[in-house]
Amino acid sequence: MPKVKINDTEIEVPAGTNMIEAAKLAGVEIPHYCYHPHLSVAGNCRMCMCESVTPRGSVLEIACNMQAREGLAIRTDTDQVKAVRKSVMEFLLVNHPLDCPICDQSGECRLQDYYMDHGQYDSRGLEPKVSKHKRQDIGDHIVLDAERCVQCSRCERFGDEVTGTGDLRLMNRGDHTEIGMFPGTRLEHDYQGNLADICPVGALTSKDFRFERRVWYLRETAGLCTGCATGCNIQVCHQDGEVFRYLPRRNDDVNKSWICDPGRDLHKRVGSLERILRARVDGSPCTTAQAELATRIRAAGNRVGFVLGTQASLEANWALIQLARGNCPEARFFWVSGNDGDAIEKSDHLLMDIDKNANTAGVQLLAEWVGNVGDTDALREADLALLIVLEDDIVSRLNGGALPELAYFGSRENATSAQASLVIPVTHPAEMDATYVNRQGRVQRNRRATNPLGEAAPAYAALEKLGTALGKAPGTGLPVATFLSLARAVPRLAGLDYKVLGNTGRLLAPPVAEAK
Amino acid sequence: MALPKPNKTLTLTESSYIVEVLKGMALTMSHVIKNLLNQDFRTIEYPDVRKPMTARYRGAHRLLLRPDGGIKCVACMCCPTVCPANCITIVAGENPDDPAEKFPVSFDIDMLRCIYCGFCVEACPKDAIRMDTKIYEINAYNRQDMVHSKAYMVNLMDGLKPEAGTAYHVDKTLAPAGYTAEAPVRP
Repeated sequence: MPKVKINDTEIEVPAGTNMIEAAKLAGVEIPHYCYHPHLSVAGNCRMCMCESVTPRGSVLEIACNMQAREGLAIRTDTDQVKAVRKSVMEFLLVNHPLDCPICDQSGECRLQDYYMDHGQYDSRGLEPKVSKHKRQDIGDHIVLDAERCVQCSRCERFGDEVTGTGDLRLMNRGDHTEIGMFPGTRLEHDYQGNLADICPVGALTSKDFRFERRVWYLRETAGLCTGCATGCNIQVCHQDGEVFRYLPRRNDDVNKSWICDPGRDLHKRVGSLERILRARVDGSPCTTAQAELATRIRAAGNRVGFVLGTQASLEANWALIQLARGNCPEARFFWVSGNDGDAIEKSDHLLMDIDKNANTAGVQLLAEWVGNVGDTDALREADLALLIVLEDDIVSRLNGGALPELAYFGSRENATSAQASLVIPVTHPAEMDATYVNRQGRVQRNRRATNPLGEAAPAYAALEKLGTALGKAPGTGLPVATFLSLARAVPRLAGLDYKVLGNTGRLLAPPVAEAK
Repeated sequence: MALPKPNKTLTLTESSYIVEVLKGMALTMSHVIKNLLNQDFRTIEYPDVRKPMTARYRGAHRLLLRPDGGIKCVACMCCPTVCPANCITIVAGENPDDPAEKFPVSFDIDMLRCIYCGFCVEACPKDAIRMDTKIYEINAYNRQDMVHSKAYMVNLMDGLKPEAGTAYHVDKTLAPAGYTAEAPVRP
């Protein structure tokens, strides 16, 4: 690997590494607007200008267009570089309206950040600013303010290279250059929210988050999108127990820097009116629902079935398995594939999977390990008195057909919760630590962002309580310990724990037969 | 615990108190004579007469209006951010007809929590909030009425005139219960 020198630090990076990335590895932050790690290099903002040290002396070059090669040396701390950055900032802000008080980007705006770091000049503006079109409704998720734009063309490249729709374009010339849509068109794709994220300034902002909250109040927690089997990495932005938005979290192996709009909208489910917040027995609220469920399980004897949840975490499914094995040795397991009644059944070649369950691969893994897990047909034919269901809306999935008495551990109201005689509230993924396995077989960790609402508890904790009532607790009160016992028992998870999974997750070990 | 001893034992003339009482009366009489000769009273007849406050006195907050009648505040959230007492609550909304786009749907200041530091005035990028009313009688019969609303603060003084500040213009309907809206005369 070639050695490059950034200021006084020498660092070895793979050949062809972009110098902005190489500098980041060396601990030097190079300011930039138009460069994005998952888009092509445009080199039009000129903010990443630095000095390249050559045998003929120092030459100013843009770092985003430089690739690491042996002997390359750049400096980012000279007076010349500082002067250039200051001038670039001045040019970028010549026609900027300084809408900061009403702009949703302020607080996470590169113009604000870099002005404080590299600008700090006295305004020389004598000419009136060029005014452009403000507050344009260009799509279901995006508001465009052309005046705030710095013409970095990230959104244009996103449309060309990621979604392939090519909808946003820079038009006109000189200081009248303006970003906009073709006449009569609107953004039609399902990745609009990313435009607001990649826009380094406030030109493209999210309609959903518009004026909701100032970003500096929000705290961010590394979470997972549980909208489909892709398992995109997200940043959950919340304040005082309220979730305001999901942002994509970079994971080059799963979702790069993107998430889809249906997934982004799922933050509304955390505090939605559909949440189950109280335990119910036979339709009326009950404070002793767990004890009642234990009584009914005992009464059902051998005719109890357990349905593994493809929307529930690995920990929750493990708790269900351990609970069943400890207390009902004769119990049968099932899993019902398909999507819930309220799932938005969209899919594409990018991120959206047709399987809208976050943990289908995880349930598959545990089903292999347990062995003899019945499918939909087996469930239809089985002679059962009580069926314990974890999160999945099996009534919609089975689409009719007689079912035994249901006990439902779920987070939101659906056809199953309506039919179930016992309903125990469990948390939304944003309210618990848990792990999920995505469609690639990647085990990923989701972190708890907010406190559970109402009486909801994480499914593994709720099942621990039920196990205690039944006489033998599964030992799944804490997520860390639960995952450790799971990783020790299941060979394909060997060696994994929360620390190893980290922020980007780990791929499952191949099945034993394949490994041989 | 023993009581502290008096650090001085009284002399005979002191313990008789006659001389000491006469001394005190002499001091009183000296003030009577001084005030009769030179009528510079330090006491004012509040609330009929009021002390002129200095120009920089920080009184109750008011919200200002633009010349076109719209509220100046754009709900940028700078004041709740900077407020050390955490007493300002703003709910932002979008106004489709206004070029300012954003406006405060509600703007409440909990005067029981406010410490009158004036940071909100300093932080405001739009000169929308000021504390130049010189009002210091901020009182109510219950805690809810101590929360000043947007409508109350706009009407506290004539929001159109930034130079207002000599007379009260309190809309009785918007004033909190118990607030005496009678306009007192300033000296």
